[in-house]
Amino acid sequence: MMKILVVDDEESIRLLYKEELEEDGFVVEVAKDGLEALKQVPLFKPDLITLDIKMPGLNGIETLKRIRESERRIPIIMCSAYGEYKQDLTTWASDAYVVKCADLTELKNTIRRLLRLP
Amino acid sequence: MSAHPDGYGLLKKAIHLSSSSMPIEKKLTGMFQLIADEFQSDRSLHLQPEAIPKEGFLFRVAESRKPLWVDERNPFQEEALLREERDLLCPSFACIPLFDDTSFQGIFYVGFSRSRTFSPNDLELLLLLAKEMGAAIRNDQLHYLAEDHERRVKQLSTLWELNKALLTTVNFERIVHMTLTAITLGKGLGFNRAMLFLVDEKKYGLKGTMAVGPNSAEEAGRIWSSLSNRRENAAELLAHIESTTENRSILNSIVREIEVPLEHEQCILSRTVLEGRPFNIRLSPEGGEWVQARCERGCALSSEMGCYVSEHLSRDPKIYAFATIPLWGKGKVIGVILVDNLYNQNPITEEDIRYLTMFSSQAGLAIENAKLYRNLEEVHQELKEAQTFLVHQEKMAALGELSTSIAHEIRNPLVSIGGFARRLDRTLPADASEKRYAQTIVKEVGRLEKILSHILTYTHEEPMAPKELDLREVMEESLSMISESLRNGGIQLIKEFSEKVPSVKGDYYQLKQAFFNLINNAYESMDGKGRLSIRIHPLLKNGSSLVKVDVEDTGTGINPEALHHIFNPFYTTKDDRLGLGLPIIHKIVAVHQGQIEVNNHPGKGVTFSLTFPAQEEKQR
Repeated sequence: MMKILVVDDEESIRLLYKEELEEDGFVVEVAKDGLEALKQVPLFKPDLITLDIKMPGLNGIETLKRIRESERRIPIIMCSAYGEYKQDLTTWASDAYVVKCADLTELKNTIRRLLRLP
Repeated sequence: MSAHPDGYGLLKKAIHLSSSSMPIEKKLTGMFQLIADEFQSDRSLHLQPEAIPKEGFLFRVAESRKPLWVDERNPFQEEALLREERDLLCPSFACIPLFDDTSFQGIFYVGFSRSRTFSPNDLELLLLLAKEMGAAIRNDQLHYLAEDHERRVKQLSTLWELNKALLTTVNFERIVHMTLTAITLGKGLGFNRAMLFLVDEKKYGLKGTMAVGPNSAEEAGRIWSSLSNRRENAAELLAHIESTTENRSILNSIVREIEVPLEHEQCILSRTVLEGRPFNIRLSPEGGEWVQARCERGCALSSEMGCYVSEHLSRDPKIYAFATIPLWGKGKVIGVILVDNLYNQNPITEEDIRYLTMFSSQAGLAIENAKLYRNLEEVHQELKEAQTFLVHQEKMAALGELSTSIAHEIRNPLVSIGGFARRLDRTLPADASEKRYAQTIVKEVGRLEKILSHILTYTHEEPMAPKELDLREVMEESLSMISESLRNGGIQLIKEFSEKVPSVKGDYYQLKQAFFNLINNAYESMDGKGRLSIRIHPLLKNGSSLVKVDVEDTGTGINPEALHHIFNPFYTTKDDRLGLGLPIIHKIVAVHQGQIEVNNHPGKGVTFSLTFPAQEEKQR
């Protein structure tokens, strides 16, 4: 069973992602901000992380940098309501970027691709 | 034959003659006749001051202002004689200087072929007659001077009036119109026709600017007789010319077409500018031949050489007389005024040219000022437009910031609303009525998300990925996105692409989007039937190379009230669409340093013209 950590400051999003991904057969844990995510990573040992960018406290980009200090291999998908981060994708060490959308098809496809699932 | 003339009768007749209104030549002839009758003299002459040699006895008489009497008692003793003097030698003669306090009017000579003696009475009478003669000559001179002065004063006051009229406006068209009218008014300078050609410094040529003059001899007669009945002076007549007064003469439309390169050394117009002096091209008194055929190429001699002036302005180039004078601005020639008397055939005199030159020196400054003022106004207008544009840009920027942050705030809740609605939809059985509700929520959320991405596309600066593009290819690509709809509907598509179109540096995706929006708008406005014309052509404007893209439809056009808003984001006339199509086009075109023009015909259709700067052709 693949494990996914969902990091988002919006509770409803965390709930939606968790339910949708669990339905697809993943084990899902959630974190409400960057600091909580940093605590969860060594404990939960996720196979993939979805990371919201705009969060209070430690934002997504800072969190990404901190996770990458210890964990280089976990695929990380940046999720945001902002469209304009696309251009900066290459300068970050994330693996994908997804614009948040009610239709989770793109997110799910990206997860499967990164986890090499059919 | 009386040896002793009747002094009283003689003087009376002489005074009568000199106070008559006859011309001076006749008066003098009359007096000589009187003297011949009374004194039995054989020859009488009036020697003009200019005709008196610089030495000899005539010179001495003139210098000393003392008469010379030669008779039996005072024989002539001069030995060396000038040729002019030899003719005057008679056995007896008298040379009496004619002068008054202020001037010298020459010498009165009377000669006798027989030797005689002047009696004291003779001397006195001849001196008195000479006095009368001198007075008559002086009088005539003064009269002529007075007339001349009067004419000059009249000219000057007309000039002053005209200049005053020119000072009432800075409108270029009006000043030119007034100047040319002043030249043609009988109460002004009185030429039949006047034309102005101004120097175009960019093209280094002369361009016909305006012409004033009747179209035919009949019209000329009509105008002149109606004007002669009016009481206004020239300046008052000029005041009737408004800047909107249209100059509809045929001559004006001919002159406006004339362009002469300034290098054209043989054209009188061009020479007038280059040499900065007037030319008076006139006929000899015999007619037919040119007195001053200065223009070797055309004006004077042959029209088939393509001379502008003779070809366009005369009825018969071979008998066309006209004059040109340079129009001076501040220190340089800014144009040429051409005048003629085509209808009354009055010869143009040097005096006319002088008068015209005086007038045009003032008119030149007025025209130059008006030209500068016009440039200033144009620049001012451009500045105003630039300011409006900047304000618009700033408004857009502020709006962009606001809408971006709102869009972000809305997007998160939409994700969960839409996401959970999808979950509901999936979990509900196919026959549950709630399933339809859930589907509606999913659909509406999808629509809201689309609007949000539209707003973010518009307000967010997408980075350009500029490449050299062939706009025809980009347009084909945009057309392919909508070709099916076009084909299925009854819309006729007309493509006119030039064979050679320079490339444009730009972002392929952005331009494709802009073209697509244009085509899509046109398609929607035609409601399924009509004609969509797309043209792509190279264009040269103000020396820069451009590519022009026209998209023309036969749809409903744009409501004139809405026209001002069409480039404002979120303005739309269609209920089901967010009005971002045109603002996005506008933004993309602006990013590409292009321009948009809208040619709107409400109810008939609209043409959008986009122009983009072309890529410089690479140097080979």
